[in-house]
Amino acid sequence: MNHNEIFINMVQDNLNEMNDTIDRLYTTSNYCAKNRLLNRLRKNMSNLSVLIQGLRGNEGIDPLPPGTGRRFTQAELSRCNGRDGNPAYVAVNGIVYDVTNTAAWGGATHFGLTAGADVTSQFASCHAGQPILSKLKVVGKMTE
Amino acid sequence: MNRSNDSCPNLSMRLETASVLVHKAVGAVKRNRIPRRNLIWLELTGCSGNTISLLDGFHPDFKSVAAQMVNILYSNSLMAAEGEAAMERLFGAIGGDYILAAEGAVSTKDNGLYNIIGRWKGRPVTAYEAIQKFGEQAACVVAVGTCASDGGISAARPNPAECVGIQSLLDREVIKLPGCPCHPDWFLGTLAYFLLFGEPELDERQRPLMFYSTLIHDLCPRRPYFDRGIFSSKLGEKGCMFKLGCRGPVTRADCPIRKWNGRVNWPIGDGSPCIGCAMFGFPDAMEPFISYDTT
Repeated sequence: MNHNEIFINMVQDNLNEMNDTIDRLYTTSNYCAKNRLLNRLRKNMSNLSVLIQGLRGNEGIDPLPPGTGRRFTQAELSRCNGRDGNPAYVAVNGIVYDVTNTAAWGGATHFGLTAGADVTSQFASCHAGQPILSKLKVVGKMTE
Repeated sequence: MNRSNDSCPNLSMRLETASVLVHKAVGAVKRNRIPRRNLIWLELTGCSGNTISLLDGFHPDFKSVAAQMVNILYSNSLMAAEGEAAMERLFGAIGGDYILAAEGAVSTKDNGLYNIIGRWKGRPVTAYEAIQKFGEQAACVVAVGTCASDGGISAARPNPAECVGIQSLLDREVIKLPGCPCHPDWFLGTLAYFLLFGEPELDERQRPLMFYSTLIHDLCPRRPYFDRGIFSSKLGEKGCMFKLGCRGPVTRADCPIRKWNGRVNWPIGDGSPCIGCAMFGFPDAMEPFISYDTT
């Protein structure tokens, strides 16, 4: 399943959940339950907004924005480990991302991973289909 | 900076969740609207920290539960009986109705021989055997604490006793209450909810949403520092401790509002980064607990 299909499935899941929530809203008179259902709708809307961004990010062949064409060797990437004044970069599928100020990378580490490394396989096993990369700043590409 | 959280009705109401549920459950038991069900508390491969935390419960407190909400059939640390007499009570529950709370991971190496929880008719009973025997038959299984939920410290590298979380050994749903230790409110609130309404709404990791729906980072009193890019470079400094390796941004729990030891304080409130003790993979995946010289 490619990324777009995963995104589309997730959009469909959200739409199904929204339909179910709306059906329930028609039948409930309890205001607490209503608030909970409305919050669920807001969550679905927020999910859809992020998924749309993700789909847009996948449309282009080259996700590198202009001015971010720096090429990294493995040695250069490993120096960007987020320590002693160096930024914290990680590579996924050949693209280098800046995680220096990404909240989930506290101390330039994330679930046992350290910045300055290629984390493609770990990303695929934990975050496949999640619109995470589109929120990170792209700083370059790995050399072939 | 604490005031912003205290004034939010959503957050302050959450503090009441456990006490409201326990109060309702105790009332329902007293009026015979629901039965006073049996509770078995198994202490497996752990440190008893969750038992100690439970005894530290405050509004609701442990006495409410022990005396009025459930009948504690077995808890090796808290019951008066000991030895064979205690095991008699435990094994006497087989075939009856009981809720199982288990703390500690399960040692699986050599068929579980590294953790014997007692002797029954002269035969050693391993944690491995106990969780399978009592877990499959229970009306509900609650994994109390990080070790029971996911292996935790007992399963940390190099994991010589080959410990695993209890879900790995049970072919049924387990409600997980990770945390090192589990907050007494999380357990008592979940237990009361189950008695009143059945299984609470869980997230994709089987944690009750009423306690684990929000990231610590989102409720943290130091969050405004993060948003402004003000970071601590060493312990004791004002600022967000993200650069010191704080795991609040990846850990789901309501510690910032619930706090500990009678709601007195919590790690970040005392100037220490969150070490992610309520998150899967703790402690290995949450290390290092402190980092210096981060850019």
